[in-house]
Amino acid sequence: MADAIVKNGLEDYYHYRSEFAEKASENEADLLQKLKVFDDDSILQEFVESQDDASEIQLTISGINCAACGWLIEKQLAKLNGIMRVGVNVSARRASVTWNSEQLKLSQILSHIEKIGFHAKPFQPEQHEATFRQENKAFLKRLGLAGLMTMQVMMLNIGTFFDLFGHIDAETKQYFNWISLLLTTPVILYSASEFYTSAIRGLRAGTFNMDVPIVLALGITYISGVFATAQNTGQTYFESLCMFVFLLLVSRYLEHSARYKAFQESANMLEYLPTTATLIEGETLTPVLAKSLKVKQLVLVKAGELVPVDGIIIQGQGQLDQAMLTGEFDLISKFTGDQVLAGSLNQLGTLTVKVTASLQHSTLNQISKLQTQAMGTKPRIASLADQFSQYFVVVVLVIACVSYVVWQQIDPSEALWVMVAVLIATCPCALGLATPSALSCAIANLNSKGVLLKRGDALEQIAFVDWIGLDKTGTFTEGQFVLTQCINLGQQPDIHYLEIAASIERYSSHPIAKAFRDYESPHTVTEFQSEMGKGVSGIIAGVAYKLGAASFMDMSIPENMSACNVFLQSDSDLLCGFLLTDKLRPQGVTLINDLKAYDINLISGDIAPIVKSVAEQLGINNWLAEQSPEDKLNTIKAAQANKHVVLMVGDGINDGPVLAQADVSITLGAGSDLAKSSADIVLLDNDLAKIQMIFRIAARCKSKIKQNIGWAIGYNLLILPLAVMGLLSPWMAVLGMSVSSLIVVVNSTRLLK
Amino acid sequence: MSSIYVLIPLAILLVSIAIGVFFWAVKSNQFEDLERHGSSILFDDDLPKKPSKPQPTTNKSDE
Repeated sequence: MADAIVKNGLEDYYHYRSEFAEKASENEADLLQKLKVFDDDSILQEFVESQDDASEIQLTISGINCAACGWLIEKQLAKLNGIMRVGVNVSARRASVTWNSEQLKLSQILSHIEKIGFHAKPFQPEQHEATFRQENKAFLKRLGLAGLMTMQVMMLNIGTFFDLFGHIDAETKQYFNWISLLLTTPVILYSASEFYTSAIRGLRAGTFNMDVPIVLALGITYISGVFATAQNTGQTYFESLCMFVFLLLVSRYLEHSARYKAFQESANMLEYLPTTATLIEGETLTPVLAKSLKVKQLVLVKAGELVPVDGIIIQGQGQLDQAMLTGEFDLISKFTGDQVLAGSLNQLGTLTVKVTASLQHSTLNQISKLQTQAMGTKPRIASLADQFSQYFVVVVLVIACVSYVVWQQIDPSEALWVMVAVLIATCPCALGLATPSALSCAIANLNSKGVLLKRGDALEQIAFVDWIGLDKTGTFTEGQFVLTQCINLGQQPDIHYLEIAASIERYSSHPIAKAFRDYESPHTVTEFQSEMGKGVSGIIAGVAYKLGAASFMDMSIPENMSACNVFLQSDSDLLCGFLLTDKLRPQGVTLINDLKAYDINLISGDIAPIVKSVAEQLGINNWLAEQSPEDKLNTIKAAQANKHVVLMVGDGINDGPVLAQADVSITLGAGSDLAKSSADIVLLDNDLAKIQMIFRIAARCKSKIKQNIGWAIGYNLLILPLAVMGLLSPWMAVLGMSVSSLIVVVNSTRLLK
Repeated sequence: MSSIYVLIPLAILLVSIAIGVFFWAVKSNQFEDLERHGSSILFDDDLPKKPSKPQPTTNKSDE
């Protein structure tokens, strides 16, 4: 892969990348075969927009961690003949590619991206996301308009406020007022339009939301300003109006764009749905996209494949694993006439399935919709704050009215402005900003460090975690076997047997064979044979050797070798037992040391001696071995029943349900797709040490939210009496409100560091 | 003071142009990816490579 990068003169990537990228996958032929399906016309029709020769497609690309990745992909693709335009959006992890369909095939583009270590899949943005994007743009426009106008109006009025330019005559002041009115009107009519609709929506639903006092304050100030300007009497507060709208929009925009980002992330996850299926048309089998399947078509599902869509079996029988959908691990036997659901795994037998529902309506898609909804859920503390602000608004409205009536008795000319000051000064927008600003800063910080957060409230929950479950294989170990022990029963020294084993294993591509790579392989092997799932055999110097699992040996295994997992035998004698263990990830020990304060449990499906040795190396006291996925699930449920808040770290397919059951779950970027789609947090660069960092940032985020809410409530309670007593003019109220919000935001941005 | 009667409308005109440009920028997706283009200035595509400069190649050989 580095070859592909350097050959194309793209070494700059190594200078500017800020995160390490994933490794490229190895087998190219397999890859091309897999990607061929994307050249199909029906697929092109669905994803590609064509105009003459030019075709355009949207891709989601996983593996993008920094701006350098985006640059690398653009440059790499630009080298291909026929590419017209490439645009990579780093923050959304997507790319749009325009190419000449005469010269280039889609599969070539995809495989070119795979070559430099990224995974690209065609992708169609959902309707829902398009609305989100429209809203985001509308927000930006309103915000920009309000910002520019605020500057102008402020510039005109700052002079009159403080008499900076000596005496300004009445005529000029009047001129300034008219200009201010002209500039403020688009802000009130366009920029603030969202507050009106939101307030009306709230009132229709019978609640007073935060926008009601805002709309009242805006309306009163603007209308009285218009009258004051027209009649050339009294005070105007156009600059306060503009600033008020601008600052409110800033906070709303921040919250909205954080949600938009989260939504994009979850939409990218949709690429993990089963994408291809084998369509049966008469005698021919064609690979197609699962998405393009229509009701009543027939598909073939071989053993080991995912069922692509919901349907009914019309031929064959099989054993199905529906763990992804139900969390139940028992294989279910399905016969002709039975219904099968998209996303279940066919373990045994070949099925012909008649499609009953297209993918959009399938059960799996429903689940992923649920996931999308979960993303939108607000943290508990935020909804508490929202509720509180609702009551607060009612109280503010009452107080504002009362102070108006009272001030009518004291000084009628001031009454209106006291009421406006009360409405503005006590606007609970600092309160509304307290949680989202802290959360989005913490999430942005984690993102920049290669940690992907899929659920905002995971950060809040992680602060309460007191029970941690850890998966062993793949999480703490790298999936590379190393030889740790050799029990010798033969006459020769260990090295002799190791060399024999190494010679035989040289012909094998099994991961176990890699453990013997470090040894010399001087012997010539003839009649090499490999039996799936058992072992390998071969003849060296006239002696037939067998190397493999205990069940592959011709004789029984003595007691003292029970810990071993690979054995070597000659014609008649058992010679050697090897203990192969998975290599530990280097950060594992540091992590365990950092998390000493928590209840740590190592949960693994492996046999006891191996799990025990890993637990000892890591310094974990509690470990459970030979756990089926269901056992794992029960272990976690039991811990939760004991009022523990559970964090689960895992990466395998079998960890999917466990990760979903745990209160907070973390998986590695190298983990299985299912794990990634059910975990709350993904460590993109597989660095376990970052778990400690997540804990730290979560704790800081929690304390920041508390500080923010404390400050917002404290400020509002403090300012209320001042406003009621008429000590605040509207511009002071706006300034106070803005400074209060600003303090909250600045306090939150400290989480970025 | 009469100059402000000319200058302020002029300023308003400039601001409306600025707003127009900003709206156009939003419309043509220029605010879609703020992460990326901050560092795009670092990639000098237009400069010829300097072959004489040796580069550390050790830890990138397998990536």
